[in-house]
Amino acid sequence: MSESELLVETRGQVGRGVAQWRHWGVPLIWLTLLLLLTFGMAQLEALFRLIEPDTRQVLYHRSSLAALLGQHVFVVAVASALAILLGGSAAIAVTRPAGRDFLPLVAQLASIGQTFPPVAVLALAVPALGFGTLPIIVALLLYGLLPIVRNTLAGLSGIDPGVHEAARGMGMTGGQILRQVELPLAAPVILAGIRTSVTINIATAAIGATVGASNLGDPIISGIVNGNTAYIVQGALLIGLLAITVDSTFERLLRRPTSR
Amino acid sequence: MIELFDVTKRFGTETAVDAISLRVEKGEFCALVGTSGCGKSTTLRMINRLIEHSEGEIHLDGQPVRSFNEELLRRRIGYVIQNTGLFPHWTVARNIGLVPRLLKWPRGQVRERTEELLELLGLPREEFADKYPHQLSGGQAQRVGVARALAADPEILLMDEPFGALDPITRETLQRELQDLQARLNKTVVFVTHDMDEALALADRLVVMHQGRIIQQGRPIDLLHDPVDAFVESLLGGMDRGLKEAALTRVSERMAPFGPRLLASERIPYRAPLSQALSVMLWHRVERLTVVDDEDIPIGELSLRRLLGAKPS
Repeated sequence: MSESELLVETRGQVGRGVAQWRHWGVPLIWLTLLLLLTFGMAQLEALFRLIEPDTRQVLYHRSSLAALLGQHVFVVAVASALAILLGGSAAIAVTRPAGRDFLPLVAQLASIGQTFPPVAVLALAVPALGFGTLPIIVALLLYGLLPIVRNTLAGLSGIDPGVHEAARGMGMTGGQILRQVELPLAAPVILAGIRTSVTINIATAAIGATVGASNLGDPIISGIVNGNTAYIVQGALLIGLLAITVDSTFERLLRRPTSR
Repeated sequence: MIELFDVTKRFGTETAVDAISLRVEKGEFCALVGTSGCGKSTTLRMINRLIEHSEGEIHLDGQPVRSFNEELLRRRIGYVIQNTGLFPHWTVARNIGLVPRLLKWPRGQVRERTEELLELLGLPREEFADKYPHQLSGGQAQRVGVARALAADPEILLMDEPFGALDPITRETLQRELQDLQARLNKTVVFVTHDMDEALALADRLVVMHQGRIIQQGRPIDLLHDPVDAFVESLLGGMDRGLKEAALTRVSERMAPFGPRLLASERIPYRAPLSQALSVMLWHRVERLTVVDDEDIPIGELSLRRLLGAKPS
């Protein structure tokens, strides 16, 4: 390779690097904002005084916001991972020839999961599972299943039948078709479902505070109970920022395959 | 060699293919023709077991297809379908290399073979190898489809209306290319189409199907001369059969050495079909044409009388 070619090559790589950095910029800005607020909420004390001039305590102090954020992310991550695993594999199973009979059943079950209000799931889960983090994970899992199941089904069944026919005709095995053809082609739609599911769950997780799971819902519930709007704003602000950070990350992931 | 013995396929209570027997010799180009729903596609897809037959036996080189592993069987048989079925998320090169990769060929060999096939189908590697299917025209995409089917050099090629979705001009080009390809590669081809002209032009053997049965099979020219019933006759074009037959015969077969007269002013290539010669005569209102070779040099003449010829008995 000559020197000039090398130069072009390097420049190309640098160019790609910059472009990628810029694409990830939006989620990074939101993430920075989220972390700044989590660790520097105290700097805004004056602002919250304006909202609640008559209250002595305007900054949520019962536990650190960072710990609450960590809890929140943990709960959502566990619930979403389980929902992806469960919903994804259920949707894949019922689109295989052997499981096709169960397709309507699974689609309906997922819909029922969505119509159940999360509060009701919590109310039912607490007697069975006790207070704490477990019931909220169960509620979020059930609530997050539908978008994942629905989108995985839509993504898999939206594949051109000709592509499927050709894959079989060329002698690919079922597993090869799933891994090399179906999942890559359905990925954008499946990812969109996961995005919806995770974003909804970030918001819904806050009600876990009512059954003793400590997360970013704590300041909100506590604010409602004590009539302290500043607490509510602090909790809501962080939840909102978390949701936007995650959502814009997914948006970035979704854009990648098409921008090739 | 492909053999079907009394093969039947039922979907529920419906009989799609009804006890058909068929033998396609090695290197033969066999076209299955018939109206939609006559069972021709089903027959084709039973050969590579995309559909399992209900009764009878299907043999490849004397071995029943059921004795092979499904996937291994299909990797040995080229398969081309109407809407190409190219994987949209793979480049042209990767699509073509699919079966060799499934067969675990070494990487270098797969690349070599892919390049060879791009060359063979007239798709320059630099231009096409890294394109994605959506960047191709219909004709180019179907060329890639054919290349993919030929990748592992299968002995048998199954084609299910491969040119059905193309415009007439592209279709004709690809038909000609397929003819040239077949002359070089000499595959055993089973070709499903509802386009009788396509079948007549390409096939060594024509198999006419109707309602799940084979009504007639044989050389195209024999079917034209001697259709077994009114259905086959109408399928073959009814009153237009004369023109279809003329389309199967080349000018070179009827031309005569130069006579004592002056050269006729209108020319016809010796490879052209008689139907084209007739058309030129009709258009210019002449009874004599000069036959020329590939370099446009006169090599003989064709009169209307000779064109009409004596019907072979």
